[in-house]
Amino acid sequence: MITFEGKTFALQPGQTVLAGLEEAGVAVETSCRAGVCQSCLMQVVEGAPSKRSQQGLSPSQLARGLFMPCVCAPEGDLTVARAGDAHQRVEAEVHSLEPLSDSVLRVRLKPLAEFAYRPGQFVRLITEDGLVRSYSIASTPEVAPLVELHVRLIPGGKMSGRLKGSTAPGDRVMVSGPSGGCTYDGVESDQPLILAGAGTGLAPLWGVLHDALARGHRGPITLYHGALDEGGLYLREELEALAGRHAHFAYRPCLMDRGDDLLAIVKADPELKRAGVYLCGDAPLVERLRKTLFLAGARLADIRADAFAAAA
Amino acid sequence: MTTLYDRLGGAPAMDAAVDIFYRKVLTDDRISRFFDDIDMERQAAKQKAFLTMVTGGPAHYTGADMRRGHAHLVAQGLDDSHFDAVIELLAGTLTELGARPEDIAEVGALANSVRDDVLGREAVKA
Repeated sequence: MITFEGKTFALQPGQTVLAGLEEAGVAVETSCRAGVCQSCLMQVVEGAPSKRSQQGLSPSQLARGLFMPCVCAPEGDLTVARAGDAHQRVEAEVHSLEPLSDSVLRVRLKPLAEFAYRPGQFVRLITEDGLVRSYSIASTPEVAPLVELHVRLIPGGKMSGRLKGSTAPGDRVMVSGPSGGCTYDGVESDQPLILAGAGTGLAPLWGVLHDALARGHRGPITLYHGALDEGGLYLREELEALAGRHAHFAYRPCLMDRGDDLLAIVKADPELKRAGVYLCGDAPLVERLRKTLFLAGARLADIRADAFAAAA
Repeated sequence: MTTLYDRLGGAPAMDAAVDIFYRKVLTDDRISRFFDDIDMERQAAKQKAFLTMVTGGPAHYTGADMRRGHAHLVAQGLDDSHFDAVIELLAGTLTELGARPEDIAEVGALANSVRDDVLGREAVKA
Protein backbone atom coordinates (compact mmCIF):
# COMPACT_ATOMS: atom_id res chain seq x y z
CA MET A 1 0.00 0.00 0.00
CA ILE A 2 1.20 3.51 -0.82
CA THR A 3 0.12 6.54 1.19
CA PHE A 4 0.48 9.99 -0.32
CA GLU A 5 -1.08 13.23 0.94
CA GLY A 6 -3.58 11.28 3.03
CA LYS A 7 -4.69 8.99 0.19
CA THR A 8 -3.82 5.30 0.26
CA PHE A 9 -3.79 3.01 -2.74
CA ALA A 10 -2.50 -0.44 -3.64
CA LEU A 11 0.18 -1.25 -6.20
CA GLN A 12 -0.05 -4.14 -8.66
CA PRO A 13 2.74 -6.70 -8.20
CA GLY A 14 5.85 -5.20 -9.78
CA GLN A 15 4.22 -1.82 -10.33
CA THR A 16 6.37 1.19 -9.48
CA VAL A 17 5.41 3.88 -7.00
CA LEU A 18 5.47 6.39 -9.87
CA ALA A 19 3.06 4.32 -11.97
CA GLY A 20 0.78 3.92 -8.96
CA LEU A 21 0.80 7.64 -8.20
CA GLU A 22 0.01 8.52 -11.80
CA GLU A 23 -2.77 5.95 -11.90
CA ALA A 24 -4.17 7.62 -8.78
CA GLY A 25 -4.16 10.95 -10.61
CA VAL A 26 -1.10 12.47 -8.94
CA ALA A 27 0.98 14.66 -11.28
CA VAL A 28 4.70 13.95 -10.91
CA GLU A 29 7.46 15.71 -12.83
CA THR A 30 9.34 13.03 -14.79
CA SER A 31 11.83 12.71 -17.58
CA CYS A 32 13.85 9.52 -18.04
CA ARG A 33 11.57 7.23 -15.99
CA ALA A 34 14.55 4.89 -15.66
CA GLY A 35 16.18 5.81 -12.37
CA VAL A 36 18.78 8.14 -13.81
CA CYS A 37 17.70 11.75 -14.07
CA GLN A 38 16.21 12.24 -10.57
CA SER A 39 13.40 14.43 -11.97
CA CYS A 40 10.77 12.47 -10.06
CA LEU A 41 12.68 12.40 -6.75
CA MET A 42 10.37 12.01 -3.73
CA GLN A 43 10.79 11.63 -0.01
CA VAL A 44 9.92 8.56 2.01
CA VAL A 45 8.15 9.36 5.28
CA GLU A 46 7.66 5.79 6.47
CA GLY A 47 8.78 2.43 5.11
CA ALA A 48 11.73 1.31 3.01
CA PRO A 49 12.10 2.20 -0.67
CA SER A 50 13.87 -0.36 -2.90
CA LYS A 51 17.67 -0.20 -3.03
CA ARG A 52 17.52 0.41 -6.76
CA SER A 53 15.48 3.56 -6.21
CA GLN A 54 18.24 5.16 -4.14
CA GLN A 55 21.15 4.13 -6.30
CA GLY A 56 23.35 7.05 -7.31
CA LEU A 57 21.92 9.43 -4.73
CA SER A 58 24.29 11.47 -2.62
CA PRO A 59 24.75 10.81 1.12
CA SER A 60 22.81 14.00 1.90
CA GLN A 61 19.95 12.94 -0.37
CA LEU A 62 19.89 9.52 1.31
CA ALA A 63 19.93 11.15 4.73
CA ARG A 64 16.76 13.02 3.74
CA GLY A 65 15.09 9.79 2.64
CA LEU A 66 14.90 10.74 -1.03
CA PHE A 67 14.29 8.04 -3.63
CA MET A 68 13.26 7.68 -7.27
CA PRO A 69 9.67 6.39 -7.48
CA CYS A 70 10.08 5.53 -11.19
CA VAL A 71 12.22 2.51 -10.30
CA CYS A 72 10.74 1.71 -6.90
CA ALA A 73 8.55 -1.39 -6.70
CA PRO A 74 8.56 -1.68 -2.91
CA GLU A 75 8.11 -4.90 -0.97
CA GLY A 76 6.32 -3.29 1.94
CA ASP A 77 4.09 -0.32 2.64
CA LEU A 78 5.39 3.18 1.96
CA THR A 79 4.30 6.64 2.96
CA VAL A 80 5.77 9.17 0.55
CA ALA A 81 5.80 12.94 0.15
CA ARG A 82 6.84 15.43 -2.45
CA ALA A 83 10.47 16.45 -2.04
CA GLY A 84 9.97 20.14 -2.61
CA ASP A 85 13.48 20.99 -1.54
CA ALA A 86 15.10 18.03 -3.24
CA HIS A 87 17.02 20.26 -5.64
CA GLN A 88 18.10 23.80 -6.00
CA ARG A 89 15.62 25.24 -8.43
CA VAL A 90 16.42 28.60 -9.93
CA GLU A 91 15.24 30.70 -12.80
CA ALA A 92 17.82 31.34 -15.51
CA GLU A 93 18.03 33.66 -18.48
CA VAL A 94 19.08 32.28 -21.85
CA HIS A 95 22.32 34.12 -22.57
CA SER A 96 23.18 32.66 -25.96
CA LEU A 97 22.34 29.84 -28.38
CA GLU A 98 25.09 28.88 -30.76
CA PRO A 99 25.43 25.89 -33.11
CA LEU A 100 28.60 23.86 -32.45
CA SER A 101 27.82 21.50 -35.34
CA ASP A 102 24.84 20.47 -37.45
CA SER A 103 23.54 18.44 -34.54
CA VAL A 104 24.73 20.21 -31.39
CA LEU A 105 23.58 23.53 -29.95
CA ARG A 106 25.60 25.31 -27.26
CA VAL A 107 23.17 26.87 -24.78
CA ARG A 108 24.54 29.29 -22.20
CA LEU A 109 22.35 30.16 -19.25
CA LYS A 110 22.69 32.90 -16.69
CA PRO A 111 21.18 31.74 -13.38
CA LEU A 112 19.26 34.59 -11.74
CA ALA A 113 20.10 33.30 -8.26
CA GLU A 114 23.06 31.50 -6.74
CA PHE A 115 23.44 28.08 -8.40
CA ALA A 116 26.30 25.88 -7.16
CA TYR A 117 27.55 22.99 -9.28
CA ARG A 118 30.64 21.01 -10.30
CA PRO A 119 31.62 20.68 -13.98
CA GLY A 120 30.46 17.31 -15.32
CA GLN A 121 27.27 17.21 -13.24
CA PHE A 122 23.93 17.52 -14.99
CA VAL A 123 20.87 19.73 -14.61
CA ARG A 124 17.26 19.57 -15.64
CA LEU A 125 15.78 22.27 -17.86
CA ILE A 126 12.11 22.85 -17.13
CA THR A 127 9.81 24.85 -19.37
CA GLU A 128 6.72 26.72 -18.23
CA ASP A 129 4.43 23.95 -19.43
CA GLY A 130 6.34 21.27 -17.54
CA LEU A 131 8.63 19.75 -20.17
CA VAL A 132 11.77 18.42 -18.45
CA ARG A 133 15.05 17.26 -19.98
CA SER A 134 18.48 16.60 -18.47
CA TYR A 135 21.71 18.08 -19.83
CA SER A 136 25.31 17.84 -18.67
CA ILE A 137 27.22 20.93 -17.63
CA ALA A 138 30.28 21.73 -19.75
CA SER A 139 31.26 24.97 -18.01
CA THR A 140 33.50 25.57 -15.00
CA PRO A 141 32.03 27.97 -12.42
CA GLU A 142 35.40 29.54 -11.52
CA VAL A 143 36.16 30.23 -15.18
CA ALA A 144 32.78 31.17 -16.64
CA PRO A 145 29.78 32.46 -14.68
CA LEU A 146 27.40 31.02 -17.28
CA VAL A 147 26.07 27.47 -17.17
CA GLU A 148 26.95 25.89 -20.51
CA LEU A 149 25.01 22.94 -21.94
CA HIS A 150 25.50 21.03 -25.20
CA VAL A 151 22.09 20.14 -26.55
CA ARG A 152 21.87 17.38 -29.12
CA LEU A 153 19.36 18.31 -31.80
CA ILE A 154 17.16 15.25 -32.08
CA PRO A 155 14.66 15.03 -34.96
CA GLY A 156 11.28 15.32 -33.25
CA GLY A 157 12.97 16.15 -29.94
CA LYS A 158 10.68 18.34 -27.89
CA MET A 159 13.16 20.33 -25.85
CA SER A 160 15.90 20.54 -28.49
CA GLY A 161 13.33 21.54 -31.12
CA ARG A 162 12.08 24.30 -28.87
CA LEU A 163 15.56 25.56 -28.00
CA LYS A 164 16.56 25.69 -31.66
CA GLY A 165 13.27 26.88 -33.10
CA SER A 166 11.60 29.24 -30.68
CA THR A 167 14.01 30.25 -27.93
CA ALA A 168 15.94 33.52 -27.98
CA PRO A 169 18.50 35.21 -25.73
CA GLY A 170 16.69 36.82 -22.83
CA ASP A 171 14.06 34.08 -22.53
CA ARG A 172 13.64 32.49 -19.12
CA VAL A 173 13.80 28.80 -18.17
CA MET A 174 13.85 26.95 -14.87
CA VAL A 175 16.96 24.99 -13.97
CA SER A 176 16.98 22.35 -11.27
CA GLY A 177 19.80 20.26 -9.91
CA PRO A 178 22.64 19.65 -10.12
CA SER A 179 22.99 15.84 -9.96
CA GLY A 180 25.61 13.29 -10.85
CA GLY A 181 29.09 12.38 -9.71
CA CYS A 182 31.02 12.50 -12.97
CA THR A 183 33.33 15.25 -11.68
CA TYR A 184 37.02 15.94 -11.09
CA ASP A 185 36.94 14.76 -7.50
CA GLY A 186 38.77 11.96 -5.74
CA VAL A 187 41.62 11.67 -8.23
CA GLU A 188 45.32 12.18 -7.52
CA SER A 189 46.83 15.19 -9.31
CA ASP A 190 49.47 13.00 -10.96
CA GLN A 191 47.08 10.17 -11.87
CA PRO A 192 46.52 9.64 -15.61
CA LEU A 193 43.00 10.60 -16.75
CA ILE A 194 41.09 8.90 -19.52
CA LEU A 195 38.03 10.82 -20.72
CA ALA A 196 35.95 8.86 -23.21
CA GLY A 197 32.56 9.52 -24.75
CA ALA A 198 30.56 10.00 -27.89
CA GLY A 199 28.25 12.70 -29.22
CA THR A 200 27.24 15.24 -26.55
CA GLY A 201 28.96 13.00 -24.02
CA LEU A 202 31.69 15.53 -24.75
CA ALA A 203 29.89 18.13 -22.60
CA PRO A 204 30.67 16.63 -19.17
CA LEU A 205 34.12 15.52 -20.40
CA TRP A 206 34.84 19.08 -21.56
CA GLY A 207 33.78 20.28 -18.09
CA VAL A 208 35.97 17.73 -16.29
CA LEU A 209 38.92 18.46 -18.61
CA HIS A 210 38.81 22.20 -17.97
CA ASP A 211 38.29 21.66 -14.24
CA ALA A 212 41.32 19.34 -14.13
CA LEU A 213 43.50 21.82 -16.04
CA ALA A 214 42.31 24.73 -13.90
CA ARG A 215 43.20 22.77 -10.75
CA GLY A 216 46.71 22.08 -12.03
CA HIS A 217 46.31 18.39 -12.84
CA ARG A 218 49.78 17.04 -13.63
CA GLY A 219 49.14 13.48 -14.89
CA PRO A 220 48.59 12.78 -18.59
CA ILE A 221 45.04 13.41 -19.81
CA THR A 222 43.64 11.81 -22.94
CA LEU A 223 40.22 12.67 -24.33
CA TYR A 224 38.66 10.19 -26.75
CA HIS A 225 35.67 11.59 -28.61
CA GLY A 226 33.67 9.18 -30.74
CA ALA A 227 31.47 10.29 -33.62
CA LEU A 228 29.93 8.77 -36.71
CA ASP A 229 31.83 11.11 -39.04
CA GLU A 230 33.73 14.40 -39.13
CA GLY A 231 30.48 16.34 -38.79
CA GLY A 232 29.97 14.88 -35.32
CA LEU A 233 33.29 16.14 -33.96
CA TYR A 234 32.34 19.46 -32.46
CA LEU A 235 34.79 21.71 -30.57
CA ARG A 236 37.55 20.00 -32.51
CA GLU A 237 39.64 23.11 -33.19
CA GLU A 238 39.40 24.19 -29.56
CA LEU A 239 40.49 20.75 -28.37
CA GLU A 240 43.39 20.64 -30.83
CA ALA A 241 44.47 24.10 -29.70
CA LEU A 242 44.25 23.00 -26.07
CA ALA A 243 46.41 19.95 -26.85
CA GLY A 244 48.91 22.30 -28.50
CA ARG A 245 49.12 24.41 -25.35
CA HIS A 246 49.24 21.56 -22.82
CA ALA A 247 51.90 18.92 -23.41
CA HIS A 248 50.18 16.50 -21.02
CA PHE A 249 46.79 16.67 -22.80
CA ALA A 250 46.07 14.59 -25.91
CA TYR A 251 42.91 14.70 -28.03
CA ARG A 252 41.92 11.55 -29.92
CA PRO A 253 38.90 11.81 -32.21
CA CYS A 254 37.48 8.42 -33.20
CA LEU A 255 35.44 8.27 -36.40
CA MET A 256 33.24 5.28 -37.07
CA ASP A 257 33.06 5.96 -40.83
CA ARG A 258 36.87 5.73 -40.89
CA GLY A 259 36.65 2.33 -39.21
CA ASP A 260 37.75 3.55 -35.76
CA ASP A 261 36.50 1.36 -32.91
CA LEU A 262 36.16 3.57 -29.84
CA LEU A 263 36.10 0.61 -27.44
CA ALA A 264 39.25 -0.96 -28.88
CA ILE A 265 41.08 2.37 -29.00
CA VAL A 266 40.33 3.36 -25.40
CA LYS A 267 41.05 -0.16 -24.20
CA ALA A 268 44.57 0.13 -25.68
CA ASP A 269 45.39 3.22 -23.57
CA PRO A 270 48.69 2.34 -21.85
CA GLU A 271 47.62 4.09 -18.61
CA LEU A 272 44.32 2.22 -18.25
CA LYS A 273 45.26 0.26 -15.13
CA ARG A 274 45.97 3.26 -12.93
CA ALA A 275 43.87 5.94 -14.65
CA GLY A 276 40.87 7.84 -13.42
CA VAL A 277 38.32 6.95 -16.12
CA TYR A 278 35.35 9.12 -17.15
CA LEU A 279 32.72 7.67 -19.50
CA CYS A 280 29.91 9.80 -20.92
CA GLY A 281 27.31 9.34 -23.61
CA ASP A 282 24.31 7.16 -24.41
CA ALA A 283 23.73 4.42 -21.85
CA PRO A 284 24.43 1.37 -24.08
CA LEU A 285 27.82 2.74 -25.15
CA VAL A 286 28.76 3.76 -21.63
CA GLU A 287 27.90 0.34 -20.21
CA ARG A 288 29.89 -1.45 -22.94
CA LEU A 289 32.85 0.85 -22.30
CA ARG A 290 32.60 0.23 -18.56
CA LYS A 291 32.69 -3.55 -18.94
CA THR A 292 35.38 -3.56 -21.62
CA LEU A 293 37.71 -1.22 -19.75
CA PHE A 294 37.18 -3.00 -16.43
CA LEU A 295 38.01 -6.37 -17.97
CA ALA A 296 41.07 -4.78 -19.61
CA GLY A 297 42.36 -3.72 -16.20
CA ALA A 298 40.74 -0.42 -15.17
CA ARG A 299 39.84 -0.32 -11.47
CA LEU A 300 36.10 -0.29 -10.93
CA ALA A 301 36.30 2.35 -8.20
CA ASP A 302 38.19 4.60 -10.63
CA ILE A 303 35.48 4.53 -13.30
CA ARG A 304 33.00 7.40 -13.19
CA ALA A 305 30.21 7.38 -15.70
CA ASP A 306 27.33 9.50 -16.87
CA ALA A 307 24.99 7.40 -18.99
CA PHE A 308 22.38 9.40 -20.89
CA ALA A 309 18.86 8.00 -21.00
CA ALA A 310 17.05 8.92 -24.20
CA ALA A 311 13.75 10.82 -24.29
CA ALA A 312 12.01 12.32 -27.31
CA MET B 1 41.89 -12.56 17.26
CA THR B 2 42.02 -10.56 14.05
CA THR B 3 39.83 -11.56 11.15
CA LEU B 4 41.06 -12.19 7.61
CA TYR B 5 39.19 -9.01 6.72
CA ASP B 6 41.48 -7.03 9.05
CA ARG B 7 44.63 -8.83 7.89
CA LEU B 8 43.85 -8.11 4.24
CA GLY B 9 43.54 -4.43 5.06
CA GLY B 10 39.88 -3.88 5.88
CA ALA B 11 37.48 -1.78 3.81
CA PRO B 12 40.08 -0.22 1.46
CA ALA B 13 41.35 -3.68 0.49
CA MET B 14 37.84 -4.77 -0.46
CA ASP B 15 37.88 -2.51 -3.57
CA ALA B 16 40.93 -4.37 -4.86
CA ALA B 17 39.32 -7.68 -3.92
CA VAL B 18 36.15 -6.81 -5.85
CA ASP B 19 38.20 -5.86 -8.93
CA ILE B 20 39.93 -9.24 -8.94
CA PHE B 21 36.86 -11.30 -8.06
CA TYR B 22 34.43 -9.52 -10.41
CA ARG B 23 36.86 -9.83 -13.34
CA LYS B 24 37.12 -13.57 -12.71
CA VAL B 25 33.35 -13.92 -12.51
CA LEU B 26 32.69 -11.98 -15.73
CA THR B 27 35.19 -14.04 -17.71
CA ASP B 28 34.30 -17.50 -16.38
CA ASP B 29 32.21 -19.33 -18.98
CA ARG B 30 30.53 -21.44 -16.33
CA ILE B 31 28.85 -18.50 -14.61
CA SER B 32 29.33 -15.29 -16.62
CA ARG B 33 25.84 -15.55 -18.14
CA PHE B 34 24.30 -14.84 -14.74
CA PHE B 35 26.12 -11.50 -14.75
CA ASP B 36 25.25 -10.28 -18.24
CA ASP B 37 23.21 -7.10 -18.59
CA ILE B 38 23.32 -6.14 -14.96
CA ASP B 39 24.24 -2.83 -13.43
CA MET B 40 27.95 -3.12 -12.70
CA GLU B 41 28.02 -0.48 -9.96
CA ARG B 42 25.25 -2.21 -8.04
CA GLN B 43 26.83 -5.61 -8.58
CA ALA B 44 30.21 -4.34 -7.35
CA ALA B 45 28.56 -3.03 -4.17
CA LYS B 46 26.95 -6.43 -3.58
CA GLN B 47 30.22 -8.26 -4.17
CA LYS B 48 31.97 -5.92 -1.78
CA ALA B 49 29.40 -6.77 0.87
CA PHE B 50 29.77 -10.48 0.08
CA LEU B 51 33.58 -10.40 0.29
CA THR B 52 33.35 -8.38 3.50
CA MET B 53 31.03 -10.98 5.00
CA VAL B 54 33.03 -14.08 4.04
CA THR B 55 36.30 -12.59 5.28
CA GLY B 56 34.74 -11.86 8.66
CA GLY B 57 34.21 -8.12 8.23
CA PRO B 58 31.21 -6.01 9.20
CA ALA B 59 28.39 -7.20 6.93
CA HIS B 60 24.99 -8.38 7.98
CA TYR B 61 23.36 -10.63 5.43
CA THR B 62 20.55 -12.86 6.59
CA GLY B 63 19.55 -16.17 5.04
CA ALA B 64 16.36 -14.47 3.85
CA ASP B 65 18.39 -11.79 2.03
CA MET B 66 20.36 -14.54 0.30
CA ARG B 67 17.20 -16.35 -0.75
CA ARG B 68 15.50 -13.23 -2.08
CA GLY B 69 18.62 -11.97 -3.83
CA HIS B 70 19.20 -15.17 -5.79
CA ALA B 71 15.67 -16.48 -6.41
CA HIS B 72 15.58 -15.07 -9.98
CA LEU B 73 18.91 -16.80 -10.70
CA VAL B 74 17.69 -20.12 -9.29
CA ALA B 75 14.79 -19.78 -11.72
CA GLN B 76 17.39 -19.37 -14.49
CA GLY B 77 19.09 -22.61 -13.48
CA LEU B 78 21.56 -21.60 -10.76
CA ASP B 79 22.77 -24.81 -9.09
CA ASP B 80 25.59 -26.39 -7.06
CA SER B 81 27.99 -26.40 -10.01
CA HIS B 82 27.73 -22.60 -10.28
CA PHE B 83 28.05 -22.19 -6.53
CA ASP B 84 31.20 -24.36 -6.60
CA ALA B 85 32.61 -22.22 -9.41
CA VAL B 86 32.08 -19.06 -7.33
CA ILE B 87 33.82 -20.65 -4.32
CA GLU B 88 36.74 -21.58 -6.58
CA LEU B 89 37.03 -18.03 -7.94
CA LEU B 90 36.76 -16.68 -4.42
CA ALA B 91 39.67 -18.90 -3.32
CA GLY B 92 41.70 -17.73 -6.33
CA THR B 93 40.98 -14.10 -5.46
CA LEU B 94 42.07 -14.54 -1.84
CA THR B 95 45.24 -16.36 -2.93
CA GLU B 96 46.13 -13.41 -5.19
CA LEU B 97 45.58 -11.09 -2.25
CA GLY B 98 48.04 -13.09 -0.17
CA ALA B 99 45.67 -14.98 2.13
CA ARG B 100 46.95 -18.17 3.80
CA PRO B 101 45.55 -21.59 2.83
CA GLU B 102 43.95 -22.02 6.28
CA ASP B 103 42.22 -18.64 5.87
CA ILE B 104 40.92 -19.67 2.48
CA ALA B 105 39.56 -22.93 3.88
CA GLU B 106 37.76 -20.97 6.59
CA VAL B 107 36.26 -18.55 4.05
CA GLY B 108 35.15 -21.51 1.95
CA ALA B 109 33.36 -22.98 4.96
CA LEU B 110 31.67 -19.65 5.69
CA ALA B 111 30.55 -19.26 2.07
CA ASN B 112 29.29 -22.85 2.08
CA SER B 113 27.12 -22.08 5.10
CA VAL B 114 24.85 -19.95 2.88
CA ARG B 115 24.75 -22.45 0.01
CA ASP B 116 21.24 -23.73 0.75
CA ASP B 117 19.88 -20.20 1.13
CA VAL B 118 21.47 -19.03 -2.14
CA LEU B 119 20.16 -22.06 -4.00
CA GLY B 120 16.73 -21.72 -2.40
CA ARG B 121 16.73 -25.10 -0.63
CA GLU B 122 15.71 -26.28 2.80
CA ALA B 123 18.82 -26.64 4.94
CA VAL B 124 20.08 -30.23 4.96
CA LYS B 125 21.66 -31.50 8.15
CA ALA B 126 25.08 -32.96 7.46
